[in-house]
Amino acid sequence: MEGLTTQISTLLDHIMVSIPVFKPELILITAFIASIFSSLFIDQRWKQGSLSFALVGIMLSAYYVHAQLGQTQTGFFGMLQIDALSVYARLIILGLLLPILFLIQQYAKDNGIKNLGEIYSILLAATVGMNLLTISTNWLMVFIAIETLSISSYILVGYFSENKKGTETAKIQSEATMKYVLFGSVCAAVMLYGLSLIYGFTGNLDFISIAHIQGLIAAPKVMSSIAILFVFVGIGFKLGFVPFHLWTPDVYQGAPTPITTFLSTVPKVAALILFQRLFESWTSTLFYFSELTMLFITVVGIVTMLVGNLIALRQSDTKRMMAYSSIGHTGFLLMAIISSASADYTTLLFYVTVYAIMTIGVFAIIQFLEKNIGSTELAAYSGLGKSNPLLFTVFTLLGIALIGLPPTAGFIGKLLVFTATFDLYQHTKDIPILLLLITGALTSVISLFYYFKIPLFAFLRKGESTAPVLPVNSVAYFIAVGCGIAMLLYGLFPNLLSGLFS
Amino acid sequence: MITLTHFLVVSACIFCIGLYTVLAKRNAIMILVGIELMINAAILNFVAFGRYDKINYSGQVFALFAIVLAAASVAVGLAIILNVYRHYKTINPDQITDLRD
Repeated sequence: MEGLTTQISTLLDHIMVSIPVFKPELILITAFIASIFSSLFIDQRWKQGSLSFALVGIMLSAYYVHAQLGQTQTGFFGMLQIDALSVYARLIILGLLLPILFLIQQYAKDNGIKNLGEIYSILLAATVGMNLLTISTNWLMVFIAIETLSISSYILVGYFSENKKGTETAKIQSEATMKYVLFGSVCAAVMLYGLSLIYGFTGNLDFISIAHIQGLIAAPKVMSSIAILFVFVGIGFKLGFVPFHLWTPDVYQGAPTPITTFLSTVPKVAALILFQRLFESWTSTLFYFSELTMLFITVVGIVTMLVGNLIALRQSDTKRMMAYSSIGHTGFLLMAIISSASADYTTLLFYVTVYAIMTIGVFAIIQFLEKNIGSTELAAYSGLGKSNPLLFTVFTLLGIALIGLPPTAGFIGKLLVFTATFDLYQHTKDIPILLLLITGALTSVISLFYYFKIPLFAFLRKGESTAPVLPVNSVAYFIAVGCGIAMLLYGLFPNLLSGLFS
Repeated sequence: MITLTHFLVVSACIFCIGLYTVLAKRNAIMILVGIELMINAAILNFVAFGRYDKINYSGQVFALFAIVLAAASVAVGLAIILNVYRHYKTINPDQITDLRD
């Protein structure tokens, strides 16, 4: 009994010492609670109450994340690991949330939706989950983070379908939510089973610890293959790579456009960082499970790029087309993971930031056009280019960035990834990596055909009636133009962005 | 004598039953039941393996968290299925196909 008491006091001391490490997330949790309170009590008098709390919370949190730069520390018995990668990843996540908050507010204003205080608090809960994903190497924390993020995302997709009862949009939104929740829960359950098997082999939940690696080396081949593939099901669902991409097109098309913007960018950053850590730790040996992990990710990367870009060719709805395009980009992100050398994440972070900025820009334009012409179909954009030159020039520019052509940042990002992969190929002479490289180049060419449908319809096709000049009165418009300018700027001066990560 | 193998076999069976329920998909609620079965199989595994982990008891702790998270996600899932029923008057996923290629 004596020993237990002293043990508890040392444990408590350790927990007290660890709390400052967790400060950015604690601020987000406080902002989450404040935002709920505000939506209940303050929003009747001051409409922007919960939005303001969310904004302040995100900015304060980003400030404290930035303060952690340059120091490596652990907390809560190794549950949390703060290093440079996690700091940059969280800064990217928090930075990307700002335009998304304004896009959601604009969407609610356009559709006359009141009482949307909760949506900001749910977004903050999702942010806590994403932050945890980037700072943890413990399967327990990872699972909690993935579930927090998933449950918040389900609610975000379905939130607006209550408000517009009886309309076609609400119907489609509820269908998208159901598909998302069922597919997501199945993936989480399969991942949990895989984790339980891995725990059985290793007796340890920290996936970068030596005991964990040794356990996986000693495990029988069949069982460890099953366990590893099951774990990849859960991560694959969050990243959206083939064959766990089935939910992506339906959910992206059905969800409200700002929520699609969120789903296609921010959670991917978080899941990617987790995957990077996992990949680095699991491919560090020469044993069977490392080879399996490497082969699996290479093959999945190739298939994902092909499937995403080929199916995108025959889409007529822009949101659905962007969903397949994001699947294709996920394959490219896997290639970035494979090629990123340890301790140098500049390429990976650069590419993921650029991808997120251009995707936000495209979805902001889609949201703006959806409000003004009431459709997300490509054919509905016919002839609009001549009456709204600036908007569609930006749209075309973002398309060029997504293809990866100069002078945009998309080109620099792809160039960095290709260079790194080619170096890796020269180093190892692995045929799968060469195939990955060829597929990456080939699918970039394929993607040219569907992104160029946008200027084709907007500038060269004639609409049925005279194309209207759309009024510029939306935050979405300015966010889109801002993203376009950022793409040009980072394309001409890539050091502005990559300098931040070193 | 009940050994670790017994637990693993039982949990593998439960997992397969859950997976079959999900893949047979006739009713959204049944899919949720199948998901619950799969999660419970994993929890059983965790507790069985946790017996050999006398230092941290990670398995037991993981099982507790998994139970809580499963309950939360099923609650959200049921609310969403209710919402779908209001719009479509059915919860058979095969008949809810407005979104497709």
